[in-house]
Amino acid sequence: MNSIERNLNELNKIQNLQQRSHWMNDLHPMGKLLLGVVYILTVVSFGKYELVPIIMMAVYPIFGFIVGELSFREGIYRMRLILPLILFVGILNPFFDRDVVLRIGNLSVTGGMLSMLTLMLKGFFSVLSAYILIATTSIDDICYALRTIHIPKVIVIVIMLIYRYFGVMGNEADRISTAYRLRAPRQNGINYKAWGTLVGQWLLRSMDRANIVYESMLLRGFKGDFFVHKKGVRKTDIIYVAFWLLLFAAIAFGRRFM
Amino acid sequence: MHTGVHGELLKIEHLSFSYEKGQEVLTDINLVAHDGESIGIIGSNGIGKSTLMKLLVGLYPDYNGVLEVAGHTVDKKNLSHVREHIGYVFQDSESQLFLSTVEDDVAFGPQNYGLSKEEVERRVSEALAKVHIEHLRKFQTYKLSGGEKKLSAIATILSMEPDIIIMDEPSIALDPRNRKNLIKILREISSLKLITSHDLDFIMDTCERTILLDDGRIIFDGPTSEIMHDEKLLTDHGLELPLRFSGV
Amino acid sequence: MHMADALVTPAVAGTMYVLSTGAAAVSVKKVREENDPKKIPVMGVMGAFVFATQMLNFTIPGTGSSGHLCGGMMLSAMLGPFAGFLTMIGVLLVQCLLFADGGLLALGCNIWNMAFYGCFIGSLLIWKPIMKKGASRGKIIAASVIGCILTLQLGAFSVTLETLLSGVTELPFSVFVATMQPIHLAIGLVEGLITAAVLVFVHEARPELLWGIGSDSLEKVNEGKLSYKKTIIALAVAALICGGGISLAASAFPDGLEWSMEKVAGTSELEAEGSAYETAANIQDTTALLPDYAFKNSESVAGTSFSGIVGSLVVVAVAVGACYAFRFFKKKA
Repeated sequence: MNSIERNLNELNKIQNLQQRSHWMNDLHPMGKLLLGVVYILTVVSFGKYELVPIIMMAVYPIFGFIVGELSFREGIYRMRLILPLILFVGILNPFFDRDVVLRIGNLSVTGGMLSMLTLMLKGFFSVLSAYILIATTSIDDICYALRTIHIPKVIVIVIMLIYRYFGVMGNEADRISTAYRLRAPRQNGINYKAWGTLVGQWLLRSMDRANIVYESMLLRGFKGDFFVHKKGVRKTDIIYVAFWLLLFAAIAFGRRFM
Repeated sequence: MHTGVHGELLKIEHLSFSYEKGQEVLTDINLVAHDGESIGIIGSNGIGKSTLMKLLVGLYPDYNGVLEVAGHTVDKKNLSHVREHIGYVFQDSESQLFLSTVEDDVAFGPQNYGLSKEEVERRVSEALAKVHIEHLRKFQTYKLSGGEKKLSAIATILSMEPDIIIMDEPSIALDPRNRKNLIKILREISSLKLITSHDLDFIMDTCERTILLDDGRIIFDGPTSEIMHDEKLLTDHGLELPLRFSGV
Repeated sequence: MHMADALVTPAVAGTMYVLSTGAAAVSVKKVREENDPKKIPVMGVMGAFVFATQMLNFTIPGTGSSGHLCGGMMLSAMLGPFAGFLTMIGVLLVQCLLFADGGLLALGCNIWNMAFYGCFIGSLLIWKPIMKKGASRGKIIAASVIGCILTLQLGAFSVTLETLLSGVTELPFSVFVATMQPIHLAIGLVEGLITAAVLVFVHEARPELLWGIGSDSLEKVNEGKLSYKKTIIALAVAALICGGGISLAASAFPDGLEWSMEKVAGTSELEAEGSAYETAANIQDTTALLPDYAFKNSESVAGTSFSGIVGSLVVVAVAVGACYAFRFFKKKA
């Protein structure tokens, strides 16, 4: 499988998850978005040596993955894109910061080792919590949440369209690169002589498509807005959000006593 | 929106149009179409079929002659009235379905015309029922098959209950079963239909009247059964006999 | 170049969100003023296009490796800086949600590092002035290459600053900069060349689609015949010299950020006095909105005692058990 197919496959999996019937999918999108953001905010706000509260914050992803019946492997797999930069930034910490901050028996733990560990955990937990959000909330629902917090409609509509056409364009990219590879088997990418024509023609085709999309909107009375499904807030939504917010707050404030 | 207008839904008199000065794409087109008719529009590539269709929905407002849709002259100030009466099913369903679920896309037109929630709901259910895809309602557009996409695209137009439906190459890229299904569904739809296609067999199965265009002019306007047997007329204008008559 | 949430503190992320929101507000206003409803589907479809082209591999001549397209420069050459910027926001958000490329909290940083520089600097400061008197093959190549290199250098530098200010790394400024800048010099050069090739093609096929070209551009298509090869070589050399210079300068000073701080403030440690600071420090202490830099030397290192770690692991284990139980009973119910 090439990388384009892998991406399309991942998109497919996420869409399937979003369409499951699971009570977490039915929660209000605004609540889930808020929780996701507050969770990440709390995790990254802990200091670089504050291992204990960061470990405690694992309860949210644990809940999301076990109760939400998500694949832990998929969650870890999603680390791959941001891992290189995190590794580069954190891997040398143990060499620069050699002060011993903790002794466990004969083992001396240096500040650098600790800060590297907390950095990795922060990266890991934030990716997992974002996965919990997107696996249970469709982009349309997230767009609805964005509209409720008054993100301008032009941005939200563009997000909806990008999401809608990413799959279509991704398939096109797959066909283009497959057709290219089949005729140029010894190249591991597109030769520089074809850069302009290959991408350029595709770009012009895409502009034509945009034109048809526009005409199709216009002919159905488009006046500059999309309609979103309004969702009522239920008691469960409030309890769910309140429970987690209180727990995050407890960990954040209680960490002085840990 | 279905007005219940009977009789002349479409009136075209001495219509001519050019994109650039001096290069007429359409010349002196005259055409009257009535409620319930199904008209095939045929002709070789690039002779102005799509241009004519786009003129009808007001995408090119600068033309010469008379162009009336359900009693409304097609011009800039009448556009929203005109578009309430006429729907356009594009050749590329992927571009027509721009929302992420079938339901949302079918509801888009009625919502834009400010209909009540109940009315939108009724329209969506009816439109999906007419093309027999009630089961696809909650589906993501991205995951539909080619045939399902075509039917969904038609439903997005049917939900607006137009008097006139224009279809650009509806049978393209459909497998035999989907094509057959589409023919059956089109026969059930009672609005005035204008169907452009290179698939003459498809036109024979769906239209009783056919218009042949060449070089921007109407060459023939009459019963489908008549033109489809006229090999000379067809070949003179860049077409071939329908497969079922060609003895291939 | 996508930053992860773990690399930023709430304070840095918040600042960058504010800056990016400001740029977005200006863009929304400008796009509204244009009042061109056709732009919306074009933005959506082009956003998806850029997203998809990022997955293509481009062979870099003379090497075994391959390059990719990021697209900020290309988008704004087609849509203008403002619509281009809004489109990039959409692309970055969808990327971060669907593929975990970048994080929700770091989105403000990523918008700034990639979309702002690419669309505003690249398009308004480089593309527009160069194209003022019409476009030509040479000008498009020059604008694309300079624009991509410059915007990627700025972006990489911002990543460095944002990470260092967040205090998550012990990497000295010099090492960080000396690694980030040259890597992104190469990436920028390749991206610039791909962008140039695509835009030259568009210019030859449908010149009216390009943004910001002077009114007399159509007549001047054949002017300014700078050879493709010569331009590329000249720019590559110029870029290498610049990048090399920056890296050398960075490593010449043992710790550039502190060095420059010393020059500016007269001391390498910023002192803050007054009750406002104390109040802020108190608030910070109780809310943990900022990491405590002074932690290392304080007597008790909170959150790192052995018993604390054991305790927290027990909590995690209990949570795992409780969640399985919850799922079990929820299903039964």
